[in-house]
Amino acid sequence: MFATLSRQLKNHPALIPLLFFISGGTAMSLMYLARLALRSPEVSWDRNNNPEPWNKMAPTDQYKFYSASIDYSKLKKNGPDY
Amino acid sequence: MQQRTTRLIRIGIDYHLRMAEVIEEKIKNYRTAPFDARFPNTNQTRNCFQNYLDFHRCNKALSDKGQDVAPCDWYQRVYKSLCPLSWVGRWDEQIESGSFPGKI
Repeated sequence: MFATLSRQLKNHPALIPLLFFISGGTAMSLMYLARLALRSPEVSWDRNNNPEPWNKMAPTDQYKFYSASIDYSKLKKNGPDY
Repeated sequence: MQQRTTRLIRIGIDYHLRMAEVIEEKIKNYRTAPFDARFPNTNQTRNCFQNYLDFHRCNKALSDKGQDVAPCDWYQRVYKSLCPLSWVGRWDEQIESGSFPGKI
Protein backbone atom coordinates (compact mmCIF):
# COMPACT_ATOMS: atom_id res chain seq x y z
CA MET A 1 0.00 0.00 0.00
CA PHE A 2 2.80 2.43 0.85
CA ALA A 3 4.68 1.45 -2.31
CA THR A 4 1.63 2.34 -4.40
CA LEU A 5 1.21 5.55 -2.43
CA SER A 6 4.83 6.71 -2.81
CA ARG A 7 4.77 5.88 -6.55
CA GLN A 8 1.61 7.93 -6.98
CA LEU A 9 3.07 10.81 -5.00
CA LYS A 10 6.27 10.80 -7.05
CA ASN A 11 4.22 10.95 -10.25
CA HIS A 12 1.84 13.60 -8.93
CA PRO A 13 3.66 15.61 -6.26
CA ALA A 14 0.76 18.05 -5.96
CA LEU A 15 -1.07 15.37 -4.03
CA ILE A 16 1.25 15.70 -1.02
CA PRO A 17 -0.57 18.63 0.64
CA LEU A 18 -3.80 16.70 0.16
CA LEU A 19 -2.27 13.79 2.05
CA PHE A 20 -1.21 16.04 4.90
CA PHE A 21 -4.55 17.71 5.30
CA ILE A 22 -6.61 14.56 5.08
CA SER A 23 -4.43 12.64 7.51
CA GLY A 24 -4.23 15.66 9.83
CA GLY A 25 -8.00 15.99 9.86
CA THR A 26 -8.50 12.29 10.48
CA ALA A 27 -5.96 12.30 13.28
CA MET A 28 -7.62 15.29 14.94
CA SER A 29 -11.09 13.69 14.79
CA LEU A 30 -9.81 10.43 16.23
CA MET A 31 -7.94 12.26 18.97
CA TYR A 32 -11.09 14.17 19.90
CA LEU A 33 -13.10 10.98 20.08
CA ALA A 34 -10.41 9.34 22.18
CA ARG A 35 -10.38 12.36 24.53
CA LEU A 36 -14.15 12.20 24.89
CA ALA A 37 -14.03 8.47 25.55
CA LEU A 38 -11.20 8.53 28.06
CA ARG A 39 -11.36 11.93 29.75
CA SER A 40 -15.00 12.90 29.75
CA PRO A 41 -16.55 12.76 33.23
CA GLU A 42 -19.75 11.34 31.75
CA VAL A 43 -18.15 8.09 30.61
CA SER A 44 -17.75 5.14 32.93
CA TRP A 45 -15.66 2.25 31.62
CA ASP A 46 -15.53 0.25 34.82
CA ARG A 47 -18.95 -0.11 36.38
CA ASN A 48 -17.70 -1.82 39.52
CA ASN A 49 -14.85 0.48 40.51
CA ASN A 50 -15.87 3.78 38.99
CA PRO A 51 -19.63 3.85 38.63
CA GLU A 52 -20.29 7.60 38.72
CA PRO A 53 -17.23 9.54 37.53
CA TRP A 54 -19.09 12.84 37.41
CA ASN A 55 -19.30 12.79 41.19
CA LYS A 56 -15.54 13.06 41.35
CA MET A 57 -15.60 16.59 39.94
CA ALA A 58 -15.06 19.40 42.41
CA PRO A 59 -17.84 22.02 42.49
CA THR A 60 -15.47 24.51 40.87
CA ASP A 61 -14.48 22.30 37.90
CA GLN A 62 -15.40 23.82 34.59
CA TYR A 63 -16.58 21.19 32.13
CA LYS A 64 -17.60 23.44 29.28
CA PHE A 65 -15.14 25.31 27.15
CA TYR A 66 -16.48 28.82 27.63
CA SER A 67 -18.62 30.07 30.44
CA ALA A 68 -20.27 33.44 29.95
CA SER A 69 -22.23 34.00 33.12
CA ILE A 70 -21.17 31.45 35.75
CA ASP A 71 -18.20 32.33 37.94
CA TYR A 72 -16.85 28.89 38.72
CA SER A 73 -14.48 30.01 41.45
CA LYS A 74 -17.42 30.97 43.68
CA LEU A 75 -19.32 27.69 43.52
CA LYS A 76 -19.58 25.36 46.48
CA LYS A 77 -21.00 21.92 47.02
CA ASN A 78 -24.77 22.09 47.20
CA GLY A 79 -26.07 19.22 49.25
CA PRO A 80 -25.13 17.85 52.66
CA ASP A 81 -22.42 15.23 53.10
CA TYR A 82 -23.43 11.80 54.17
CA MET B 1 -4.88 10.45 74.49
CA GLN B 2 -8.42 10.27 75.82
CA GLN B 3 -8.63 14.09 75.79
CA ARG B 4 -7.52 14.10 72.18
CA THR B 5 -10.15 11.48 71.26
CA THR B 6 -12.85 13.41 73.08
CA ARG B 7 -11.75 16.59 71.33
CA LEU B 8 -11.87 14.91 67.92
CA ILE B 9 -15.32 13.48 68.63
CA ARG B 10 -16.53 16.92 69.67
CA ILE B 11 -15.08 18.44 66.50
CA GLY B 12 -16.95 15.82 64.47
CA ILE B 13 -20.21 16.53 66.28
CA ASP B 14 -19.70 20.29 65.82
CA TYR B 15 -19.16 19.80 62.09
CA HIS B 16 -22.38 17.83 61.77
CA LEU B 17 -24.38 20.32 63.84
CA ARG B 18 -23.02 23.28 61.92
CA MET B 19 -23.60 21.54 58.61
CA ALA B 20 -27.17 20.72 59.68
CA GLU B 21 -27.74 24.42 60.49
CA VAL B 22 -26.30 25.52 57.16
CA ILE B 23 -28.49 23.05 55.30
CA GLU B 24 -31.57 24.08 57.32
CA GLU B 25 -30.86 27.67 56.33
CA LYS B 26 -30.46 26.68 52.68
CA ILE B 27 -33.69 24.68 52.74
CA LYS B 28 -35.55 27.60 54.34
CA ASN B 29 -34.35 29.99 51.62
CA TYR B 30 -34.85 27.50 48.81
CA ARG B 31 -36.16 28.95 45.55
CA THR B 32 -35.07 26.47 42.91
CA ALA B 33 -32.36 23.96 42.10
CA PRO B 34 -29.03 25.80 41.98
CA PHE B 35 -26.44 25.46 39.26
CA ASP B 36 -24.57 22.17 39.48
CA ALA B 37 -21.16 22.12 37.84
CA ARG B 38 -21.45 18.38 37.19
CA PHE B 39 -24.38 18.98 34.83
CA PRO B 40 -23.76 22.23 32.98
CA ASN B 41 -25.68 21.49 29.78
CA THR B 42 -29.31 21.88 28.85
CA ASN B 43 -30.14 18.21 29.41
CA GLN B 44 -30.71 17.95 33.17
CA THR B 45 -31.94 14.36 33.21
CA ARG B 46 -28.91 13.11 35.07
CA ASN B 47 -29.14 15.97 37.54
CA CYS B 48 -32.68 14.84 38.40
CA PHE B 49 -31.72 11.20 38.72
CA GLN B 50 -28.57 11.93 40.71
CA ASN B 51 -30.48 13.98 43.27
CA TYR B 52 -33.14 11.32 43.55
CA LEU B 53 -30.44 8.72 44.21
CA ASP B 54 -28.65 11.06 46.63
CA PHE B 55 -31.85 11.61 48.61
CA HIS B 56 -32.39 7.90 49.11
CA ARG B 57 -28.72 7.19 49.74
CA CYS B 58 -28.56 10.05 52.27
CA ASN B 59 -31.63 8.72 54.08
CA LYS B 60 -30.16 5.25 54.21
CA ALA B 61 -26.68 6.44 55.31
CA LEU B 62 -27.87 8.84 57.99
CA SER B 63 -30.47 6.52 59.42
CA ASP B 64 -27.91 3.71 59.52
CA LYS B 65 -25.64 6.03 61.49
CA GLY B 66 -28.52 7.00 63.75
CA GLN B 67 -28.43 10.68 62.83
CA ASP B 68 -31.32 12.94 61.96
CA VAL B 69 -32.31 12.66 58.27
CA ALA B 70 -33.49 16.28 58.00
CA PRO B 71 -30.46 17.47 55.93
CA CYS B 72 -31.44 15.01 53.19
CA ASP B 73 -34.46 17.17 52.44
CA TRP B 74 -32.20 19.39 50.35
CA TYR B 75 -31.88 16.61 47.77
CA GLN B 76 -35.61 16.04 47.86
CA ARG B 77 -36.34 19.72 47.16
CA VAL B 78 -33.89 19.68 44.24
CA TYR B 79 -35.26 16.57 42.60
CA LYS B 80 -38.82 17.73 43.07
CA SER B 81 -37.87 20.93 41.25
CA LEU B 82 -36.18 19.14 38.39
CA CYS B 83 -37.88 15.81 37.78
CA PRO B 84 -41.14 15.23 35.96
CA LEU B 85 -43.79 13.94 38.35
CA SER B 86 -44.39 10.81 36.29
CA TRP B 87 -40.76 9.78 36.67
CA VAL B 88 -40.80 10.36 40.41
CA GLY B 89 -44.02 8.35 40.71
CA ARG B 90 -42.60 5.50 38.68
CA TRP B 91 -39.35 5.40 40.64
CA ASP B 92 -41.20 5.49 43.96
CA GLU B 93 -43.30 2.52 42.88
CA GLN B 94 -40.19 0.69 41.76
CA ILE B 95 -38.53 1.30 45.09
CA GLU B 96 -41.54 -0.04 46.92
CA SER B 97 -41.70 -3.12 44.75
CA GLY B 98 -37.93 -3.59 44.94
CA SER B 99 -37.28 -3.26 41.21
CA PHE B 100 -35.55 0.14 41.22
CA PRO B 101 -32.60 -0.01 38.80
CA GLY B 102 -30.34 2.50 40.54
CA LYS B 103 -27.90 1.64 43.29
CA ILE B 104 -29.05 2.93 46.68
